[in-house]
Amino acid sequence: MADTLDHSIEPQETVGRACVGLSTGLLVAGAIGLGLTVAIELLFGTGAKGFFHRYLVAFAFCMTITLGSLFFVLIQHLTKAGWSASVRRIAEIYTLGTIPLAVLFLPILVSILLGSHALYEWNDVEHVKTDALLLGKSGYLNAGFFSVRAVIYFLVWIGLARLFVYTSVRQDVVGSPDLTSRMEAWSAPGTLAFSLTASFAAFDWLMSLAPHWYSTIFGVYVFAGCLVACFATMAITVLWLKSKGFLKTAVNVEHQHDLGKLLFAFTCFWAYIAFSQYFLIWYANIPEETVWYKARLSAWKPVSGFLAIGHFILPFIFFMSRHIKRNSYLLGFWAVWGLLMHWLDLYWIVMPQMSSEALTFSLSDVTVLVGVVGIWGGTIGLLARDMSVLAVSDPRLPEALAFKNL
Amino acid sequence: MSTTVDPLLADNTLNDPRRRSPLVLGGLDYAGVTKTVCAVASETTPPPLWFLAFALSVSWAGVFGLCIAYLIFTGVGVWGNNNPVYWAFDITNFVFWVGIGHAGTLISAILFLFRQKWRTSINRAAEAMTIFAVICAAIFPGIHVGRAWLAYWLAPYPNQMAMWPNFRSPLLWDVFAVSTYFTVSALFWFMGMIPDIATLRDQSKSKIRQFVYGVLSLGWTGSSRQWHRYEKAYMILAALSTPLVLSVHTIVSFDFAVSQVPGWHTTIFPPYFVAGAIFSGFAMVVTLLVPTRVICGLENLVTIRHLENMNKIILATGCMVGYAYGIEFFIAWYGGNPYETDTFLNRAFGPYWWAYWTMVSCNVISPQLFWFKKIRTTPWMMLIVCIFVNIGMWFERFVIIVTSLARDALPSAWHYFTPTNIDLLMLIGSFGVFFSLFLLFCRFLPVVAMAEVKSIMVEHHHEDHGHGHGGHAHGGHGGRH
Repeated sequence: MADTLDHSIEPQETVGRACVGLSTGLLVAGAIGLGLTVAIELLFGTGAKGFFHRYLVAFAFCMTITLGSLFFVLIQHLTKAGWSASVRRIAEIYTLGTIPLAVLFLPILVSILLGSHALYEWNDVEHVKTDALLLGKSGYLNAGFFSVRAVIYFLVWIGLARLFVYTSVRQDVVGSPDLTSRMEAWSAPGTLAFSLTASFAAFDWLMSLAPHWYSTIFGVYVFAGCLVACFATMAITVLWLKSKGFLKTAVNVEHQHDLGKLLFAFTCFWAYIAFSQYFLIWYANIPEETVWYKARLSAWKPVSGFLAIGHFILPFIFFMSRHIKRNSYLLGFWAVWGLLMHWLDLYWIVMPQMSSEALTFSLSDVTVLVGVVGIWGGTIGLLARDMSVLAVSDPRLPEALAFKNL
Repeated sequence: MSTTVDPLLADNTLNDPRRRSPLVLGGLDYAGVTKTVCAVASETTPPPLWFLAFALSVSWAGVFGLCIAYLIFTGVGVWGNNNPVYWAFDITNFVFWVGIGHAGTLISAILFLFRQKWRTSINRAAEAMTIFAVICAAIFPGIHVGRAWLAYWLAPYPNQMAMWPNFRSPLLWDVFAVSTYFTVSALFWFMGMIPDIATLRDQSKSKIRQFVYGVLSLGWTGSSRQWHRYEKAYMILAALSTPLVLSVHTIVSFDFAVSQVPGWHTTIFPPYFVAGAIFSGFAMVVTLLVPTRVICGLENLVTIRHLENMNKIILATGCMVGYAYGIEFFIAWYGGNPYETDTFLNRAFGPYWWAYWTMVSCNVISPQLFWFKKIRTTPWMMLIVCIFVNIGMWFERFVIIVTSLARDALPSAWHYFTPTNIDLLMLIGSFGVFFSLFLLFCRFLPVVAMAEVKSIMVEHHHEDHGHGHGGHAHGGHGGRH
């Protein structure tokens, strides 16, 4: 029987205790990182073009982790999941990332409103007049409508994140199971709003980097990456918190195993979607579609090959076994690996649009990543400083604690 | 005895986050489950309704057989196919039936991996339905080849003519995908049934039944070693079936998407087809189970909560299908390819507008009714919605296949497709085959996975046998998931 196990839950464990210092450090590192990036790009790099492309990669990296976490929270409520009650708070905390990300999006938004076309060719009004395809799309791809859509996306995401995080945190204190029912009721329309906004954000921010190109699956492709990023981040966070002495009894090897299974499953799902997109375009061989892969199969060919191997084949072979998922060190390794590959995937989506002739790896890729992740992570840490890392009053928590894999 | 009635036992669609709603009602214990399920396949004469339904289904199956014979003797010209609509009802029916065949294995494999315990009451019937749907599907390409007696040429085998099928063609991949799917699904279905067939064997009084069930149960005794092997095999088959569920309709979508035909070539096709297949498959499971549970007296096992859960999946996958329609339309404009844009405008406002709007109304609008709990939990209402979904999913394939072909790249070749009577009779006839097989299944095999249902009611049995409810503060209690 479950009751014979020790299920006593630690008293309120707040993130603040774990990482107020860390958050401040992250913010400082973030500021330094961004400053260094600007300096490197302006002094030695390709100026605004280089800065904004690299910045977009780092922004998309944090954005996809945050959106994946938001989807995870939504789907746990939608399916009334029991096992995840002990790890859901971690995803909830990451959804707070929507707030710093709205601020971090401002440089891109402002530059577009000021008429910069460092990032998006479709914002070059004079050029668009001479390009029939871009002229045709200008009703959708223009600075004004682009900004309106971005504001709508962030309003929806911040609204959903706040709704779920603060309802869940209130439950810690009030303990009312009705709050769970309330979140479950919101999860269905929330998922619908999420899928539409996330898809169109993928079209707007990443697909329109190649404004002549189109792919109907692109939203699903980015969504698959969001989930890989989210499960990898959750696994890393759980392992890190446990190493700091948190969640000792609440999260056990069974939950780690489940996070590992989901990471594995969505790594395969990403491969399925990536393959579907590539294969259909390769097979039909229509120039307006192959152009996107053509940019990735010249100088970028080794990166494309490495992405296929690293993002799918290696984890498929070496992360399949249950023994590996249940081992903290190996789970941690593959989660870090998954996150690195996810970054590379985004880099591979963005950077060949800036330079298809030559690889663009640079020190500023690291500094900008430190910058954006620092500000994003530091703000999340400060926003969550008074929150418990465990949804202590979740009515399904006892089920999560008692749960065992077959 | 408790004096108060547990509200969750009175209405198991209620949700209390503190505990799981019961999945087996009517106070059934192990023996009660066995009795309920075995009664369906009992040796007494089945109800007159069964004979009526069976006579009707078999008659239509016979019509189907006659149509096939007529087609083979005459040629595919008996269909309404024309130039340029070389694919019409035949391939539409094939994709429709393969799609239906996705729910069973999804329930038995993917929902198993997701630990959805409610699947145990419905997986057997859904898996059976899957197999029968794939049988219906396989007939159509077999007779579409024209010279049906040479259909075995579809398979690559060394021959003295040194003639091979085209390995670059997704139609050949279909042969592999569908036959693999059929084999694994049938294996999964049969293997899962062994303990239950053994139960039927032990319950049977007639010598013939004892012998047949005895052979089919492969000497099952229920020893712990056998159970151990059985559960390992079940897990492995579930893991193998999961990619199969995705792969079959992915490859069916390749039949269209690898081409350059506007309206067929679009990258979202693989996941969109899979979502549509699950959508139509669940709609067919609900369509079958709503009457079956009443006629066979299974209301305590296939409860309203089971039906409600399936309706929620139908709503979710219906939204995914609607998402795909919307994205296709948006990208048809955004892509700036005039042929693509024209194809989509033609679908919605061209000569086949009626088919397109039937599809949208049935597939996107009708499942939205499932946002209302009243409709999700009232059998006759959900039955109507699910029949609409079935109609809509047939039309989806018709719209994709026929509209893109009827107006191809050469306007002088444009030709409106009109089905012949043989087309219509064969479509209805394939339902005859499907229902005949399903009715036979209900009559002779265990319609509910008794052993699996019992496995989720272990503690339920111990704790509240004969009581309304015990002190269920926590989850983790079998029978309440």
